[in-house]
Amino acid sequence: MRAFRFDFPSMGCPCSLQLEAADEASAASAAARARAEVARLDEKYSHYRDDNWLARICAGARGDHGIEVDDETANLLDFADALHAQSAARFDITAGPLTRLWDLQRGRLPTHEEIDDARARVGWSRVSWVRPRLRLPLPGTRLDLGGIVKEYAADRAAQCCRDSGVMHGIVDLGGDLAVIGAHADGKPWLAGIKAPRDPRQPCATIEIAGGGLATSGDYERALVVGGRRYSHIIDPRSGWPVEGFASVSVIAASCLVAGAAATLAMLLGIDEGGAYLRELGLPFLCVDQAGRPSGSIETLA
Amino acid sequence: MIHPSASLSALLGAAASLLPAAHASAASTDDAINRASYRFSDYDEDALAPASVIGDGKRYRVLSQVFGLDTRIADGRFDLKLDATHEVMSGSSPWFVLPDAQQRPIQVLSGATIRDHRSALSAALTSDPGARSNTTWSAAYSAERDYHALSAGVERRQALGDALTLGYGGSFSHDVIEPTDAALDDRIARATKNSASAFASLAWVLDRDSVLQAGVQLNAEHGYLTDPYKLFSYADAIIPEHRPGERAEGAALLRYRRSFAQIDASLHVDYRYAQDSWGLHSHTLEVAWYQGFGSGWRVVPALRYYSQAAARFYSPFALVADGRVNYSSDYRLGTFGAFSTSVNLRKAIGRWELSIGAERYHSAHGLALDGGNAAVPALVDFTRAYAGFDFGFE
Repeated sequence: MRAFRFDFPSMGCPCSLQLEAADEASAASAAARARAEVARLDEKYSHYRDDNWLARICAGARGDHGIEVDDETANLLDFADALHAQSAARFDITAGPLTRLWDLQRGRLPTHEEIDDARARVGWSRVSWVRPRLRLPLPGTRLDLGGIVKEYAADRAAQCCRDSGVMHGIVDLGGDLAVIGAHADGKPWLAGIKAPRDPRQPCATIEIAGGGLATSGDYERALVVGGRRYSHIIDPRSGWPVEGFASVSVIAASCLVAGAAATLAMLLGIDEGGAYLRELGLPFLCVDQAGRPSGSIETLA
Repeated sequence: MIHPSASLSALLGAAASLLPAAHASAASTDDAINRASYRFSDYDEDALAPASVIGDGKRYRVLSQVFGLDTRIADGRFDLKLDATHEVMSGSSPWFVLPDAQQRPIQVLSGATIRDHRSALSAALTSDPGARSNTTWSAAYSAERDYHALSAGVERRQALGDALTLGYGGSFSHDVIEPTDAALDDRIARATKNSASAFASLAWVLDRDSVLQAGVQLNAEHGYLTDPYKLFSYADAIIPEHRPGERAEGAALLRYRRSFAQIDASLHVDYRYAQDSWGLHSHTLEVAWYQGFGSGWRVVPALRYYSQAAARFYSPFALVADGRVNYSSDYRLGTFGAFSTSVNLRKAIGRWELSIGAERYHSAHGLALDGGNAAVPALVDFTRAYAGFDFGFE
């Protein structure tokens, strides 16, 4: 067995595949398949683009009869629907207009009028979703699957590698990890959990032999005004950023479930989110605004 | 199985349709890939009412113990399951039926109390465990003083796209019957029976919460299919019963599974229809509800209904010699219906899972959906209680 590493940018972040295979051709073929899958999902679901599948679905869903969506999209919408229910409406894929108000590029706090205006266009409960038919009755509603798709893509990429016969390796999409399988000698992979204030600097190193690790935090696209950080985790009910953890990392049997758990805990804030993580029983690591870690993930450093 | 909390179940349930099947199912169990289990059960048939019985009305009782081991071998590429069973059977069993003066049936039970042991070993090897496509080879051997059975089978599961799984396979069994006291009681000294079975099924993932499976099964038996211990009251004579030397059976089944992740529950509904060349046909409907209560508690109440129409050659007795070739008064070939209610309680404590349960079974001629009017005097009611544990280890 030889080790191979493939780095590539996708989904707006640095990505890598570490694979162990008998020869370079096997590793390269698995990597190509995994990259193609990640690129496919990025192309299909990126909310930064106006010309892709998601944009076409949203356009089609604005008609009186809505639009029938494909199975994969339906599965993602079902998942988003379930997360909306399980988070008491805090997880909301229609929250895009609110999220954009708090985008780093704006450099200023939104006004109350802007927030009220955005809130009027937001709300999964105002969307008609009866699988497989989606209808967006409110003008201007957009769907943002960014909170799910990267983790889903990591799991899919790992499965692509397994389907190609590479059974040992790890997929890293911007710090969200999906293990293809432990090292060929059975040892777990060493992985860094990115620090909330400096994503390039891991704040902890862990061992992971299977499943996935995902981190949700306010280090990306955070708005800093008057020395105060406003996270990109927005509570769609108030329209304001959640004041809570700086980041939450979760380990689960899949990156998708880890990511959903981490995102929901972030949205629920310190007290409720902490209780939710303990109830889930999955290994987790929270970092508070002062950079103090807590949780049940055993860190090596 | 170690059960996840309600909120984790809800999360896993929601994610299931987006994950490869292997990972969705692996996610719902605990990480331990090796399991040892033990179960003790006590099956106890009710005594027959003495008024219509000759002999000891105390019927069959079976105490059984099953040891199981489920382990990954060859770097996880294969899953090996081993089961060892030991049973002790005692009591008397229905022997033949006599007509009384009004031609009503009187059940005669075997006079001597039977006491026997059965030991069985079975092994199943699955390649690519956890993958959506895999193959299982199995073999089993069962031995009693008067009965030996050797069987082997193979089963293949094949994913057809994301939402469809094809299953198919077959098995073969060779049984040897060597009745006790053969010379004394005019029984056959040694006989054999061969059985072959083939099946195919399709499972559809309907949505993230539900799966529907439909299947067909064909069974063929050839050889000595008669019960060597049963007699038949034929006109004025009491003679060994006699059944055809061949039997073909076709069965269709439907299984529906629906999970209600938000309340940590799931519904299982199974239906089976079977018809054979002896004229027997049967319906089985079973409904079970799996309910988690957090902290590792789980309760499974279940209800099963069964209805059978008699084999053509079944009758309690023959009053006149009518030249029939096959004849049996075995109640298991008569027309009857049955209700079974059961409840199973499980509690996970770390790597242990404790399980206790009980089942009550009641059968009666009047519960059948259809079938002949021939009386079936020896229909059984029984109670089964069991307790056991599972232990998961790395």
